[in-house]
Amino acid sequence: MLDLSLPWWGWLLMGAGLVGFIAMLVVSIRRNQGVKRSLFASPYTLWMIIFTVLPVILIGYYAFTDMNGNFTLDNFRNFWDSNYESNKVIMQAMGEAGAAYVSRGTVNVDTLVYSLWMAFKCTAICLIAGYPAALFMADRNMKLGPTLVVLFIIPMWMNFLLRTIAWMSLLEDSGLINSFLRKLGFDGVQLMYNSNAVLLGMVYNFLPFMVFPIYTVLNKMDFRLSEAAADLGCNSWQTLYKVVMPLSIPGVISGITMVFMPSVTTFFIPRMLGGGNTMMFGDLIESKFLVEGNWNVGSALSLIMMVLILISLSILRKADPNGEGGGIA
Amino acid sequence: MMEQEHLIDLKDISKDFDGTTVLNHINLYVRKKEFITLLGPSGCGKTTTLRIIGGFEYPTTGTVYFEGKDITSLPPYKRRVNTVFQKYALFPHLNVQDNIAFGLKIAKTPRDEIKKRVDRMLDLVNLNGYGKRKVDQLSGGQQQRIAIARALVNEPEVLLLDEPLGALDLKLRKEMQLELKSMQQRLGITFIYVTHDQEEALTMSDTVVVMNDGKILQIGDPKRIYDEPANAFVADFIGESNILRGTMVHDELVHFSGFDFPCVDSGFGDNAPVDVVIRPEDIMIVGEDIGQIRGVIKSVLFKGVHYEMMVDCGETTFKVHSTIMQPQGSHVGLTIVPYNIHIMKPMAEEAHADA
Repeated sequence: MLDLSLPWWGWLLMGAGLVGFIAMLVVSIRRNQGVKRSLFASPYTLWMIIFTVLPVILIGYYAFTDMNGNFTLDNFRNFWDSNYESNKVIMQAMGEAGAAYVSRGTVNVDTLVYSLWMAFKCTAICLIAGYPAALFMADRNMKLGPTLVVLFIIPMWMNFLLRTIAWMSLLEDSGLINSFLRKLGFDGVQLMYNSNAVLLGMVYNFLPFMVFPIYTVLNKMDFRLSEAAADLGCNSWQTLYKVVMPLSIPGVISGITMVFMPSVTTFFIPRMLGGGNTMMFGDLIESKFLVEGNWNVGSALSLIMMVLILISLSILRKADPNGEGGGIA
Repeated sequence: MMEQEHLIDLKDISKDFDGTTVLNHINLYVRKKEFITLLGPSGCGKTTTLRIIGGFEYPTTGTVYFEGKDITSLPPYKRRVNTVFQKYALFPHLNVQDNIAFGLKIAKTPRDEIKKRVDRMLDLVNLNGYGKRKVDQLSGGQQQRIAIARALVNEPEVLLLDEPLGALDLKLRKEMQLELKSMQQRLGITFIYVTHDQEEALTMSDTVVVMNDGKILQIGDPKRIYDEPANAFVADFIGESNILRGTMVHDELVHFSGFDFPCVDSGFGDNAPVDVVIRPEDIMIVGEDIGQIRGVIKSVLFKGVHYEMMVDCGETTFKVHSTIMQPQGSHVGLTIVPYNIHIMKPMAEEAHADA
């Protein structure tokens, strides 16, 4: 027998949708006028309120209270000063790298800076590698274009965790690359458990999110504009930077947004490919919540990261006044 | 001597797209300061011809000469040719002024010179003071003018225009036709114009090139094309006409619609099958008893300047244009002056001969 049971929130969401739909019908019949479109959004709005807005409010609440529910700014002070007891626990668990943090006393800030720096590098690599890829894919003279699009999509059919673990079997000491090198008579190379391996994993996982927004914009672009540029004296390079690039900015901005945000908050990749030697801000938050059970400090850290992301998104949006990219700030 | 006058020469140009022949051994020359129009139905190869001249397509076979030099494989940016694109292709990220200045900036023209020439162009296309506007704030007609200004500001030898007036309404189109023509005469630039609108072609051009199925059917000045179409296709495409199957009885006498008509053509051979083309305005409606053939008015349509009447003559129905209305159902006679009967080789036979 087919199991048709749903979790409670599934019934809730569907119920809300149904209520919204009936309300819409009633209203439109009563007023004898056009359907109010906003009513279609009611289930989604409800979903957003319960699972996005409320949690954010809760994070805010936890961030500014202590274990007993009293107002405090201690959680933020904890962010600056790592000599809090709770931080020492993590740093000890990190071994040597942790000891270095202890001596500097700024594990949280360091981790944040490191995360931002890694996210920046990842975004930059994705942009520089992804833009030409998108250009090739969108070039109407390239017969390979559609094939490339499919090749980019196929890895995304696989689970994100699986893809990362697959990289491990490539990079680890007894992995494919190293055993191949040894067969050729070379020494093995330490490929995993460093920040470059983490970066590789991030770029690999997030590259499609850079390529596709740019590809979509380029693909929609009227090819006659390039022809017009050539007609007016532009060679291929001039056409690229005078016409194609400026017109693809909305795609670039969505791409940057879609790569930068998950890069900053990523936590699985560093643990797998970095092997705990490198910690990113996402890992830190995760360990506050799940390892230490300190929701207050974890919330404070989340809040700090949210604010940073909002700031960087609003800076990005300045470059794209039409607002096709982003969608959050 | 004639060769020197030729600005552009297309020699034996063919173009295949994925095995489909779009242009089939075209030969064409364009003279300096000429307004030449490539005219034909969609898919006839006129736009492809223009794009080959512009450098956006390369011919499969054949050579393109510009002032005697082979430019067949020269990229567009090295050609002294500018194009007005079908849907204008204005740069949406630049304002009007920067759109017009685009080519000059690429050519590294000094700033004050650019400003002077852009202003002069805005003046020429009657859009003074629009320089700072965004392109998408302009109407179709205004965008059209900017596209022309953007091309003309580079002072090209040749301006290529790909159905530039297609998106405009009738009145604006007529205005722009006159404007383009006078601009061309004032500036002394060669215009190569592509359109499917026969009236536009006849109004503006010095030379009309009628194309169909990747071939050139006829080249000539508008009057010649209209008055002496080379075959039934041209006759049908240019203006309205009655096209009938007929037989040459002997020279200067043709049989169609069940009667013999005197005509002025000869040399087809006795009893040869021919196509007969008669313009609707060349058929005169006369009294029932004095016409060459008799007929009944089947329908009457008011067309503004004239009435269009369908006259049923038994074997054939003639389309007749006249300023005098005959009531529906009335019996009339029709008369056709010999030199208004155009005799041409039948299309099917011609196609057969070519193959």
